[in-house]
Amino acid sequence: MEGMLISTQQALHMLLTGDSELWSIVMLSFSVSFKAIILTTPPAMVVAYSLANGNFPGNKIVLAVFNSLLSVPTVVIGLLLYVLLTRQGPFGDLRLLFTQTAMVIGQMMLCFPILVALGYAAINAADRRVKETSITLGAPWWFTMLTVLYEVRFGLLAAVLTGFGRIISEVGISMMVGGNILGYTRNITTAIALETSKGEFAQGIALGIVLLLLAFMLTAFLTYVQGKQEITA
Amino acid sequence: MSEPLLLFRGIEKSFAGNQILKNVNLSIYPGKCILLSGKNGSGKSTLLKIIAGLETPSKAEIEFSGKSHSWKSVIRSIRKNIIYLHQQPYLLSGTVVSNVAYGLRFTHLNRTQRSDSLKEALEWAGLADVANKQAKTLSGGVQQRVAFTRAWILKPKVLLLDEPMANMDYESRMQACDLLKRMKSEGMSIVVTGHDADIFDGLTDKHFHLTEGKLES
Ligand SMILES: Nc1ncnc2c1ncn2[C@@H]1O[C@H](COP(=O)(O)OP(=O)(O)O)[C@@H](O)[C@H]1O
Ligand SMILES: [Mg+2]
Repeated sequence: MEGMLISTQQALHMLLTGDSELWSIVMLSFSVSFKAIILTTPPAMVVAYSLANGNFPGNKIVLAVFNSLLSVPTVVIGLLLYVLLTRQGPFGDLRLLFTQTAMVIGQMMLCFPILVALGYAAINAADRRVKETSITLGAPWWFTMLTVLYEVRFGLLAAVLTGFGRIISEVGISMMVGGNILGYTRNITTAIALETSKGEFAQGIALGIVLLLLAFMLTAFLTYVQGKQEITA
Repeated sequence: MSEPLLLFRGIEKSFAGNQILKNVNLSIYPGKCILLSGKNGSGKSTLLKIIAGLETPSKAEIEFSGKSHSWKSVIRSIRKNIIYLHQQPYLLSGTVVSNVAYGLRFTHLNRTQRSDSLKEALEWAGLADVANKQAKTLSGGVQQRVAFTRAWILKPKVLLLDEPMANMDYESRMQACDLLKRMKSEGMSIVVTGHDADIFDGLTDKHFHLTEGKLES
C-alpha cells in the first residue's frame, strides 16, 4: 500500500515536471492513432454512405459483416497482421513488422468497421429530403454524398471520436505488431503493460492517468457533439 | 396547343405490392401550369418525384421531340431541367445565400455570372435582408421562399411544387402565389399539387384529379 502511494507520488511528479520519456510515449500514441483515424475516416464514410444509399444486392449482408467485425478481439487483428507481415509472410518483404506503420495499419483495421457501422447509422438517419434536394438542384452523386455527410456531420464526428477512443486505448495490436520498442513503437498502452510487469508502477500510473483523462475528455466532447446532433436533426 | 415539352406515358408504381399509380399519362406544355389534386395518400408526391427522377417507377415511358424512351434511359439527362420542391422544404446548413447558390456551381456560368444571378435572385424574392442569416432559423414562409428562389435561379424548364401552400399563412400564400406567377410568366412549366383549387386562382391552366391510382381531368 505504501509502495503504491510512493509510486503515485512519483507518477504525479513525472506528469507535472514533464518527464521527457513519458511525454514522448504519449506523443507516439497520439501520432499513430491520429494517422490511423485520419486515413480511415474518408474511405469508411464512402463505404457507409454507399451502404445507406445503394440498393445493390447483398447490401444488408455487407452491413451485417461490418457489425460482426465490431467484436473481433484486438489480439486476433494483431495475430492476422503479424502473420501477414512476418519475414516469411506474404508481405514480409515490406519489412513492416515492429514499425509504427504496422501499428497504424492494425489500428486502421480495428476502427474501420466501427466508423462504417456508426457512420452508417448516422447517415441512415439523415432526412431523405437532403439527398432529394441535392439531386434535384443538379448535384452530381459525389456532391450529393458530401452534402448528406455534411448535414449529419455531428453524428459522423461522434463516430470518429468513438473510433479514436477505441484505437488509442487498444493494446493487443500495438504489442504484437509494434513490439514495444522504446522511442520507436512503445505507446501508452504497451508501456503500461511492460512497466507493470516489471513492477515499476510509477510510469504506468502516470500513463494510466493520461489515458483516463483522455477518455473523460473524449466522452465529454462526445456528449456535447451528440447534443448538437439532436438539435440540428 | 403547342407541342408538349415532355410526355410521361404509362407510369406505374407499387410500394411493397400495393399499386399507387396505374397507367398514368401526363403531358407538360411549355409555360403552362397543371394543378394536380387528390386525397392524402393518393400518390401525388410519388408522381411528382417520378417525374423529377427522385423515385423509380415500376414502369414509365417519356416522350419528347417525337420520340419515346424508357424512363430509365433518359431520366438522368432530362431531370437537369426539372426541379422538385418539397411540401416542407429542407434548407441545408448554412446561410440563405449558400442555399440559393447551391445549384449554381453545377451550371456553366462563370464566377461573375454566378454572383450577378445570385444578387438578382435575392432581390427578385425579397431575400436581400436575410441573405446572411442561418437558413434553418427562419420562419416557414421565408424558408419556402428560399426554396423557390434556389430553384428559380437555375431557370429549370419544369418546376414541380408539392403542396406549396399547405403550411402557409395568408400573407405567405399571397407572396408565394406572386412568385409562382412570375415564374410562369418567364415560361417555366409548373405542376403543382394541392387540395384547394382557389388558392391557385389565375395560375392553373389545367386541373387533374388523382384517385385510385388514375388521373382524371
Ligand atoms: N417510400 C415509400 N415506401 C412505402 N410506401 C410509400 C412510400 N412513399 C409513399 N408511400 C405510400 O404511397 C402512397 C402515396 O403516397 P404519396 O405519394 O405521398 O401521396 P400524396 O402525396 O398524394 O399524399 C401512400 O399510401 C404512402 O403511404
Ligand atoms: Mg404528398
